[in-house]
Amino acid sequence: MVTREEQDLAVKILDEKTNRQLLYYLDICTRCGICKDACHQYVATGDVLYLPASRAQLIRKVFRKYFTIQGKLIPSVVEATAPNDKLLEDLYRASYACTSCRRCMYYCPFSIDTTWFTSIGRAMLVAIGRGATILGELADAAIMKGENIDMFRDILIEGLKDTEDEFKARVGDPAATIPIGKKGAHSLYVALAGTHTILPMAIIFHQAKADWSLSLFEAANYGYFYGDTARAKKIAQRFVDEAKALGVQELIISECGHAYRVMEFLYEAWAKEKLPFKIRAVVDVMHDYIKEGRIKLKPGSLLEPVTYHDPCQVGRNGGFYEEPRNIVKAVAADYREMTPNREKQWCCGGGGGLVAESEFDTLRQVSGQKKVEQIRKTGAKVLVTPCENCRLQIEMLNEKNNLGIRISSMMDLVVESMDLPGAKPA
Amino acid sequence: MDWFSFIVAGIMVYVAVAVFLIGSIYRVIQWRRAPKSTVKQGMFPRAENPFKRTLKLGKDSLLFPQVLDTDRWMWFFVIGMHLAGIGLFFGHLRLLFEITPLYNALGAGGMETLASWVGGAIGISLFIAFTYFLLRRFKSPYRELSVPEDYLLLLLILLLVLLGDHLRLTHPFDLASYRDYMSSLLHFKPAFSTAITFSADKWVLDAHVLTANMLLIYFPFSKLVHAMGGFAGNLLRSE
Ligand code: SF4
Ligand code: SF4
Repeated sequence: MVTREEQDLAVKILDEKTNRQLLYYLDICTRCGICKDACHQYVATGDVLYLPASRAQLIRKVFRKYFTIQGKLIPSVVEATAPNDKLLEDLYRASYACTSCRRCMYYCPFSIDTTWFTSIGRAMLVAIGRGATILGELADAAIMKGENIDMFRDILIEGLKDTEDEFKARVGDPAATIPIGKKGAHSLYVALAGTHTILPMAIIFHQAKADWSLSLFEAANYGYFYGDTARAKKIAQRFVDEAKALGVQELIISECGHAYRVMEFLYEAWAKEKLPFKIRAVVDVMHDYIKEGRIKLKPGSLLEPVTYHDPCQVGRNGGFYEEPRNIVKAVAADYREMTPNREKQWCCGGGGGLVAESEFDTLRQVSGQKKVEQIRKTGAKVLVTPCENCRLQIEMLNEKNNLGIRISSMMDLVVESMDLPGAKPA
Repeated sequence: MDWFSFIVAGIMVYVAVAVFLIGSIYRVIQWRRAPKSTVKQGMFPRAENPFKRTLKLGKDSLLFPQVLDTDRWMWFFVIGMHLAGIGLFFGHLRLLFEITPLYNALGAGGMETLASWVGGAIGISLFIAFTYFLLRRFKSPYRELSVPEDYLLLLLILLLVLLGDHLRLTHPFDLASYRDYMSSLLHFKPAFSTAITFSADKWVLDAHVLTANMLLIYFPFSKLVHAMGGFAGNLLRSE
């Protein structure tokens, strides 16, 4: 049972998070329901709680109760409600299930950003200890790594030895290294956990003769998913500080949609500082290398039919529609576009931290049906997408729906279609 | 004017207009006073320059292309309702000022015929559109999404439209009397003409003005502020 103190705390968070954007959104939604067809989760499940405006309505009910005249004079007419147990349970599901794809914002006639509500919903839940536990734990682990990096440094470098050996072999250069902590490097590359986004980028950077350094930290930001700005900022600050200390000119974020979004669009607002370097999405960097002729791809080397999935945070919310397509088209003999695409692209269903939250596994599977239909219609055998969450989600959809496709990252596709002087992969 | 008419079609009109204006200005001030998050919130593709951004804002806010993409019937009724709303505004304005160029072109008789056809069409279109919006709310999932306010607002508007339609459509339209009334309001001496005072329609006119007053008073506190805030929302989209 929620206590009075917890309710007050949740309302306090709502008050603190209330800004101009939220006030607009609270006031102007006409509950027309146009956004219903935009949300893959509502479309697939028919569950009204997943209808974007319903998610927002939960916050609106609480806001009305505490902060409006209507809520005080005619509470039942405007459905003003205290954050009771039922509301908080609904808020949990509505907020943490949202993949933050913002497809609903695209279709709303007033461009209401539902994620503005769901992220406040998450923050309110975190404040009263009802946040998604797994996301909180993953966020804390990342922060802990940041605070104790001296303890982790040698282990991390040691763990890269095999990758470095493979890298040397692939580029046929025994002197090649994976630089870490390189002062004055042009770029700091922030990879994902594991080595699968380190090896291909090391090869690409090497071939492009780029001056780079590898970050000791991973790009993914579970603090952001958790809905806790303070944690999210700390996680990102780990490599912001690293980049500042090295004096790099750009920070390259690996194929991770939300990590790019955090750095390009949110971090400066959170930290109230202007970053002294540029934020780049790795897909844009690879595109530049190809355009400038710094790396060469074999045209038409990918013979199977191939399609491209726009990750929401890379396309609609990140601005890269043509760059990734240009890369795929440069190597594909048979490129097939999904419909709809670009700004109208369906979310794969795996964003917003969902791939880490097993409680939403069934929802992920069901709400991915639009994506399954889209992929099937193309008849493609390969799907390329530059986002780890999308790849994990589509791998799952592939397996559960027997799509029989191969899912590739953009950097793997690039490396596969480069003529490398060294050994072929085993 | 009897005391009831004097209150609802006299004093209350001033109160309603004042609440509407002050409330709407206050609402805008309240929005502008709240700190704006510096998060860059726009979606892509972004308009490349301020001119294109303004064009996009106009297109999104006035033509609702995303609604057309999603729900054609809704788009049809929404566009119809908003267009009729603009016509309605000019129709009522004509009770205060004659639209001279049109009057000169058509002559008194022509103008009357046009006004009665257009006014009638607008009244009927609004009735149909708001009936559609109301019925739509009874259908799932709109039913679950709706709050009592949504129904009450639609019922109020429907009543207002019905009363207006009654005045416009049921008998020969007494333009001179309505003009006298509007002008008396403008001169802060609210009065009904003798023709209105002794007609059965006096109560209909009272009720029409009363519902209009209620709508004006509720406007700044209702979702109808989307008429102002909708532009702000759509501007954030291409930020
Ligand atoms: S489309 Fe926009 S205005 Fe309509 S219900 Fe959804 S969020 Fe509200
Ligand atoms: S952001 Fe995406 S998942 Fe969230 S409510 Fe909107 S459409 Fe649904």
